[in-house]
Amino acid sequence: MRTGVIGLILPPTFSFLEMMWRICPALAVGCTVVALVPPASPTPLLLAQLSGELGPFPGILNVISGPASLVPVLASQPGIQKVAFCGALEEGRALRRTLAGECAELGLALGTESLLLLTDTADVDSAVEGVVDAAWSDRGPGGLRLLIQESVWDEAMRRLQERMGRLRSGRGLDGAVDMGARGAAACDLVQRFVREAQSQGAQVFQAGNVPSEHPFYPPTLVSNLPPASPCAQAEVPWPVVVASPFRTAKEALALANGTPRGGSASVWSERLGQALELGYGLQVGTVWINAHGLRDPSVPTGGCKESGCSWHGGPDGLYEYLRPSGTPARLSCLSKNLNYDTFGLAVPSTLPAGPEIGPSPAPPYGLFVGGRFQAPGARSSRPIQDSSGNLHGYVAEGGAKDIRGAVEAAHQAFPGWAGQFPGARAALLWALAAALERRKSTLASRLERQGVELKAAEAEVELSARRLRAWGARAQAQGHTLQVAGLRGPVLRLREPLGVLAVVCPDEWPLLAFVSLLAPALAYGNTVVMVPSAACPLLALEVCQGSQFVEWASAGNLKPVWANRGCLRAWDQETEGAGPELGLRSARTKALWLPMGD
Amino acid sequence: MSAHNRGTELDLSWISKIQVNHPAVLRRAEQIQARRTVKKEWQAAWLLKAVTFIDLTTLSGDDTSSNIQRLCYKAKYPIREDLLKALNMYDKGITTAAVCVYPARVCDAVKALKAAGCNIPVASVATGFPAGQTHLKTRLEEIRLAVEDGATEIDVVINRSLVLTGQWEALYDEIRQFRKACGEAHLKTILATGELGSLTNVYKASMIAMMAGSDFIKTSTGKETVNATFPVAIVMLRAIRDFFWKTGNKIGFKPAGGIRSAKDSLAWLSLVKEELGNEWLKPELFRIGASTLLSDIERQIYHHVTGRYAAYHDLPMS
Repeated sequence: MRTGVIGLILPPTFSFLEMMWRICPALAVGCTVVALVPPASPTPLLLAQLSGELGPFPGILNVISGPASLVPVLASQPGIQKVAFCGALEEGRALRRTLAGECAELGLALGTESLLLLTDTADVDSAVEGVVDAAWSDRGPGGLRLLIQESVWDEAMRRLQERMGRLRSGRGLDGAVDMGARGAAACDLVQRFVREAQSQGAQVFQAGNVPSEHPFYPPTLVSNLPPASPCAQAEVPWPVVVASPFRTAKEALALANGTPRGGSASVWSERLGQALELGYGLQVGTVWINAHGLRDPSVPTGGCKESGCSWHGGPDGLYEYLRPSGTPARLSCLSKNLNYDTFGLAVPSTLPAGPEIGPSPAPPYGLFVGGRFQAPGARSSRPIQDSSGNLHGYVAEGGAKDIRGAVEAAHQAFPGWAGQFPGARAALLWALAAALERRKSTLASRLERQGVELKAAEAEVELSARRLRAWGARAQAQGHTLQVAGLRGPVLRLREPLGVLAVVCPDEWPLLAFVSLLAPALAYGNTVVMVPSAACPLLALEVCQGSQFVEWASAGNLKPVWANRGCLRAWDQETEGAGPELGLRSARTKALWLPMGD
Repeated sequence: MSAHNRGTELDLSWISKIQVNHPAVLRRAEQIQARRTVKKEWQAAWLLKAVTFIDLTTLSGDDTSSNIQRLCYKAKYPIREDLLKALNMYDKGITTAAVCVYPARVCDAVKALKAAGCNIPVASVATGFPAGQTHLKTRLEEIRLAVEDGATEIDVVINRSLVLTGQWEALYDEIRQFRKACGEAHLKTILATGELGSLTNVYKASMIAMMAGSDFIKTSTGKETVNATFPVAIVMLRAIRDFFWKTGNKIGFKPAGGIRSAKDSLAWLSLVKEELGNEWLKPELFRIGASTLLSDIERQIYHHVTGRYAAYHDLPMS
């Protein structure tokens, strides 16, 4: 079911194709679009005019031409259900913070840098052409980080410099140019970058047939930039290529994954095994093998980490503009006076009502971390009351240090768990389901004490076990092949685990919700840190504020966030409790392009 | 003509690690055709330059002295006099680069060119053209006889079976022997790329041919199913550039077969200019093996000068 009104925000230098890739899927599934474009590029206005002439549906595409200060205004309009933002990192962060708690969902596509990995078994000349496609042509969106294996460093640099000398730059409508200009702002940015790089000791090589007027900048190759320098950490602007050497394929992966950006990358190697290993190991949204910059509407394109997690193209691109049918529209739960600095730091001081009668009914539960129960760092427990107000038991009160320990344990477990083949994961989920069934009577009686009827309690436990089994069966191997027009060779759409998931469970259906969130996460190979429901009604309000806080805090490293904003979810219904939305959220897509030919 | 390529010792390490990625080369080939187009008076100038690169060729079973004579005359006066006068190029000595014939017709060609008062070279194909499947002794003898008859350029074909079985030393030795048999004549080595199987083999064969002392490497005989295409040319031009970087010797390039339209010829000139640079755009280092190309170029020039298209009967036959 479609989302509704989409607000689209485009960066100062965007290509027409990028704009079409965002507008067309939205219109195709039935959403309407309001786009904010910088005043220097009037092309979208023409597009809007054309769409307005389409007769019975004026207003499906609306374009506003305005400065960047209008961005928060557009984003916080009450009628907009989703904001798709495409642009620079800092602005994306700021937008994430302002939109925390608002009604609109946010999709971010940030950054323009890509990566090229040149191994010693590559066709170096063709890889040089790949560099030209990536950084020094009008198809490439931004700069390029180039990693070259040491044994072919000299050869590659020589060919690169020779090739740069043949590039021609000029106005776009002159049919014989390779690249144009991107505006004064981009030119200033790259000038600053190159000056800084030089001052930090890098070597800068520029060549090419370029007019000397202001917005044109020659193709630039930077090498010997020390890896720890601030320039090496920043995003590489257009039209710069920053080249660094590596020794082995493993080192290449570590270097390539060692940046906060995760947009797209290409691997150049004629050895199939090595190429696939690097392709699977890179943490990016798109990997091309022996090619760069190929795009097609049927292949999902997006990123991970700080490149934002919104997609265009392919099924993932359409899911951006859809939500599962039957789910209600998102509500705004904006609380204007939420103090982000002190949220969550106060210690709740609820004490059990009435005097304690005798010793506690059971030993206090600890925190389950790394395979066993542990005492919490703060050595305090919280009493849990049942539906009639009596003391039910004690539960450990975890703190920040415990969370850190849990996350570390999850990180350590992750490589092993993700590396398990799907059958092993399915087996574990089935074993968990069996264990649940063995303890059915205990679980049912506990649920009864929380005020659930016995029959409903037993049904809940059974359904939980069934859910575990169902997700276990769905823990299939990732990936299916897409057909791409004009390309000889397959494109794989892989579904990879996200990593460590942090899950805070809702209050309704305490057991079923817990299991429904745990099972898909584990099935796809993630490790989880879960905070179960606190079974206290007063917390409903805090959960609402919690959604807003979580969205706000995720701006730090732009991790994908999914919050329910305090609205209840019908966990026992198939669509909401075990539907494809859960599967979508538990894994990350990667497109792997494999052009073939000899 | 420029000095001969002395060749180098065989060094297999130059070809042992080479890899060529076919889809990437195909993409580059498409790009070049799309991105470097020439129009108007610059196009006319480029077309005249292309005429000076043509090796006007006739390689048919029914060649006799009469059509050879017509060919040689056309080589001396490739474009109609009034068109050249309109472009102010009448007295600049525009002729084709050479005339290319079978060994038995070399005498006729030399005689016809002398009668026309023209000193362009006669190139002869040799060594069992086009398949090359004859004994080495007769192949060498063919070269010697053609040189005796007056051919100053020899186009030899390599033994494809040596490439397909990976016998690089044997290939090197054979071409070395061809080089010796040529003596002072220029050696063009035809690689017959349509029969070599993969672009990596094309690169390796190019390198071996250059190491063994060829002055030119040529893509094909014109008689294969697939002749001169852009991907193959890109690989060969990269090999020429690498050989130049390693030894300082400039080797020439000749595509042959399948080049019929003026637009194609402009694309070929752009390709050489992009990959190797302006120094290779002279007849000593670049030739186009063609026969009907000349008439299409003449028609384009006619159109540029008069604004109308000529019928085929308006222009003299070659």
